[in-house]
Amino acid sequence: MTKSGHMACGVQERMNGHVKSMYFQLCTQTAATLLSLLLMMVVDSTKTVAASRTQECGYPLLPTLKLARLVQKESVDLIKTYKASQGDMSELICKVSLNGIPDPNISGLEPSEQLSSIHSRLQEFSPHFKRVYDQQTDLQLPDSQLLEDLKRIRTRSRYLDTQISSVYQNLFPNSPPLLPDPTGGATSLPPPQNVFQQKVYGCVVLKTYKELLSNISKYLRTLKNQKCGINARRLNIFF
Amino acid sequence: MVCVRVVQLAVLACLAHAIPATEVLSYLLTAPQSPKLPIGTNFTATCFIKNTTEVTADDLFWRLAQKQIPKEQYRKISDTALNVTFLVTEETPRWLFCFSNKKSAHVQLNSEKYLHGIFIKKDYFPKKPKNLTCIAKQKKDIISPIIHCEWEPKHLRHWDFSTEYTVHLNIHAYKSLNFSTNESSADINTEVFPNFMTLDIWVEAKNALGKVESDRLTVEANSLTKTDPPSHINIISENIFSKSLLLNWTRPIDKTRLNLIYEVRFASEGSENWSYVPQADTNFDIQSFRLQNLRPYTVYITQVRCKNERLGYWSDWSDSSSKRTPASKPTGKPDVWQIVSESEASDGYQVQLLSKEPELANGEIIRYEIRIQDYKEKRQNNASEWETVRVTGNRSEITELKNVHLTDQTTHIAKVVAVNSEGKSPEATIVIPGKEHALSPVEMLKVSSEGRKLCVEWSAPNTSGISEFVVQWANHNVFDWQREKRNTRKAYIQGDFESFVRYNVSVYPLYWIGWIGKPTHIEAYLEQGAPLNGPTKIISKPKCKEAHLTWEGIPLEKQRGFITNYTIFYNDGTKTEGMCHIIKRIDHFSFIMTFLVFAAVTVGSNTFSYTLKNLARDTRYETWIGASTIKGSTNGSSHSFSTLKYAPDEIEGIVVAVSLCFLFVVVLAMLICMYKRDVIKKSFWPEIPNPGESTIGTWSPDYPVKAETPSESCLSGISVLDVDVYDGKSVFEEDKSCLPLKKDKYMSEEHSSGIGGSSCMSSPRQSVSDSDEGGDMADTTASTVQYSSVVASSGYKGQTPSLQPQQAVFSRSESTQPLLESEEHPDMLPLEGSRQSQRFHHLGLSHCQGNSDNPNQLEMEAKALDFCPVEEDSEEMSADGQPDEWLASGPISSYMPQLGGYRQQ
Repeated sequence: MTKSGHMACGVQERMNGHVKSMYFQLCTQTAATLLSLLLMMVVDSTKTVAASRTQECGYPLLPTLKLARLVQKESVDLIKTYKASQGDMSELICKVSLNGIPDPNISGLEPSEQLSSIHSRLQEFSPHFKRVYDQQTDLQLPDSQLLEDLKRIRTRSRYLDTQISSVYQNLFPNSPPLLPDPTGGATSLPPPQNVFQQKVYGCVVLKTYKELLSNISKYLRTLKNQKCGINARRLNIFF
Repeated sequence: MVCVRVVQLAVLACLAHAIPATEVLSYLLTAPQSPKLPIGTNFTATCFIKNTTEVTADDLFWRLAQKQIPKEQYRKISDTALNVTFLVTEETPRWLFCFSNKKSAHVQLNSEKYLHGIFIKKDYFPKKPKNLTCIAKQKKDIISPIIHCEWEPKHLRHWDFSTEYTVHLNIHAYKSLNFSTNESSADINTEVFPNFMTLDIWVEAKNALGKVESDRLTVEANSLTKTDPPSHINIISENIFSKSLLLNWTRPIDKTRLNLIYEVRFASEGSENWSYVPQADTNFDIQSFRLQNLRPYTVYITQVRCKNERLGYWSDWSDSSSKRTPASKPTGKPDVWQIVSESEASDGYQVQLLSKEPELANGEIIRYEIRIQDYKEKRQNNASEWETVRVTGNRSEITELKNVHLTDQTTHIAKVVAVNSEGKSPEATIVIPGKEHALSPVEMLKVSSEGRKLCVEWSAPNTSGISEFVVQWANHNVFDWQREKRNTRKAYIQGDFESFVRYNVSVYPLYWIGWIGKPTHIEAYLEQGAPLNGPTKIISKPKCKEAHLTWEGIPLEKQRGFITNYTIFYNDGTKTEGMCHIIKRIDHFSFIMTFLVFAAVTVGSNTFSYTLKNLARDTRYETWIGASTIKGSTNGSSHSFSTLKYAPDEIEGIVVAVSLCFLFVVVLAMLICMYKRDVIKKSFWPEIPNPGESTIGTWSPDYPVKAETPSESCLSGISVLDVDVYDGKSVFEEDKSCLPLKKDKYMSEEHSSGIGGSSCMSSPRQSVSDSDEGGDMADTTASTVQYSSVVASSGYKGQTPSLQPQQAVFSRSESTQPLLESEEHPDMLPLEGSRQSQRFHHLGLSHCQGNSDNPNQLEMEAKALDFCPVEEDSEEMSADGQPDEWLASGPISSYMPQLGGYRQQ
């Protein structure tokens, strides 16, 4: 095909202007056909890549990312509610740092390690949420919004953990699944505290949890970008 | 199946063996007991005979409740076992019995032991739940953790086993929730709504016969959400964009919980149809949107709703929010039209130019500018000045632009421009042609009502060049028009029409540049009804046998339809002949039905007078008129009239006839008088010999009365009898016997006295008539002579003069005939000419009496009689037959003439 086109171009040198024009058109059509074919091949390969990416970036990665954002927002709102319900010195108590609180950072270098780390952190926070809920139950009225929010964020944390596990299972189907640990893993709960310590403890737990969620969101966004590429936003629409 | 049978038989064998023979309650045993049967399947039961040889399987029967099952459905297994198979239906009774009715004493006496039954429980297999839908609604600023699920069937009929539904909700890799119910819906509490989590939801239906599951619903939890509608819809109008409005709103729920998409709809104020923004334009999580391609200066109402992206339930529509788009200069022409009315001047007509605002006014029209000019001048470019008509005060839809007087011959062109705050509209032009230049009208115009609208149809004239049509309609207080395209032949008039109101519909063809063609008119009703009332003002002109009725038409507003005819009802109250209608009227108080019969005449709708004929004379009639439309008729108020006894021409005829008869009689009498003058003269004025010339006078000068011998020729109505003056009785007898003879004799006399002549012409009966007859006679003629019988003295008989006054007996007849004047006034006898002797007597005895032939003298004598009471009295007394004294002293007179006619006796 390329050859015939070349011959046509050689012949055109012997033609008058009108014929020259005709052969120029023929060359243009040939080039357009080639270009179209090339484009089709590119698009097809892109679709193949997109399809493979879709498998990874779709369910459950994107919902997990959205859920992480939701939980992060709820944690921010919860801290506000918490501060509002702790009376005076609420700003002060949240600036104190405590030991024994789970690390909000995600460890590991590989995604599997990072996802596993997220799972562990979320597991670790669960007994702390329970402790804070119990402490605040003594401090708040039964129908307090704070108690409801604490209860919700604890459940929501489990939802997120479930989703992380699903992502892990989806990305690493041959690895052992991330199993829930009701004991909270390696974390240790603080000893009995006075009310002020309870308030400080609760706020530190919530703040740390917020940091964790911030890190999870960032990580999942990065992971999404890795798995879904530049079309992630568009794909986000469909999933 | 075979295994089941084997098991059944084994169980039955064990049961039969286990029961001691001495405690036999029944010789029959059925299996299976208390089966749970699905409706629509076949069921087989077995009946065994135990502990007896009295009956065999051939003696066994099956029945469902009281109905025996046909033997075709039996299957004999052995001599002691019998099967039955039947289809279980909804109608299958609950009890199945095996029994024996063998005709043996043992069986008959122990029939209850030869009966055994099976209690059947039946139902359908549970139906698979379908169309499972679940929804989680927004509660405050989050999604409610309670998920409501529904499925079908909504209502299932249960027979013996109720179906229990269990809803399973599995949060992927987290936990499963379930909820059981007997209903077709359930609420599942998830504690915290699992946003972005994947859910598996299904329903399991279960009853005693089995269980079945619905299809699984695997969705992201957000797909089950239904949020509140968007709030705070705010519309921004920007003056530089007259065709655009900017919307923004507040999302109902945080973006982190749900990604929403939206739908926007809008409508101009007053419109019932919404315009929807294409879904592709709002399929994003947005909070503002710009509506474009709107009409300037128009109020738009806008609503927004939302749902979770991809799947989800649309929220309800938000509250409406409205805003007007900015104004711009008019882009449409004003709708100019005319009302033509006749002018007082004979050479033209009056035209009122009207205008509606342009369809695309794009603002408030504050004024119109109009220019009217002669069409020829326009062609010569002699442009006249624009006149300004300000739209002030009450802004009605139609603005009156100008009233102009146009001549028939001239064609005028009117140009109108509408102006708003932003600028002028394009020019609208109509050409009002002179009568000579009017172009063809539309044809076959007809109007019909469809629903609450009038539909106009027409056919276009054959001429070309039609640009559009104008449909105009009007009634007494409404005038409007609408324009239709050139190819339109049928149009619905856009107006609020009232029922029972007449509308004048006109269709004008408009030719190029707005040249108005001739109109075609038609009248129409949206809906017709019976008239509000019938004709009320009835004027009648009754005659003898007919009456002319005139009435006024019903006012247009009360007609309520096209009058098809008037019906004249009339009745005379009693007569029924010729009546053609009967009305039944019920008296509400007494509930007695009375019938009113009347006649009816139907006349056309254009008739306002009618003559009722064949009426009875002198009769009172009641009439009323009913007006009819196609929807019914209504009677007007009643009116009464009486026919005349005689027609005026009849009276005239009678008067003329009587007059002619009278005239004829008079003429006849005159003719008779003329031609029979002599006879009449002789009859009424006979020639009476002058007694003065009689020779009797010379014969007895002292007694002139008696000196004259009565001549037979002079005897007339008076009979002179020779009787003894004292023997009145003999006189009467003689008189009675001889009177007819005398009469005959006198009647034969040709020359008789007046009285005698009268007597001769009278019948004998007259002469002897009684007082009653005399009364009649007195009625008939005043000249009838009253007969008298005069009994003369003996002296007179012998015509011997006597010196003594003659004693005469005056005896009157019984006749009631009036006396002649001469009879009552003897002094007039000479005038009447036959009472010679009496006359003489009077002449000799009464100084009151004259003796003259002169009528004047007679009159004078009559007057003189009034001064003679003695004579009058004497007459009356003689009538009583008493006065002997009078006889002695009274005048010797045989009769008295009546004065002035007769006197009733």
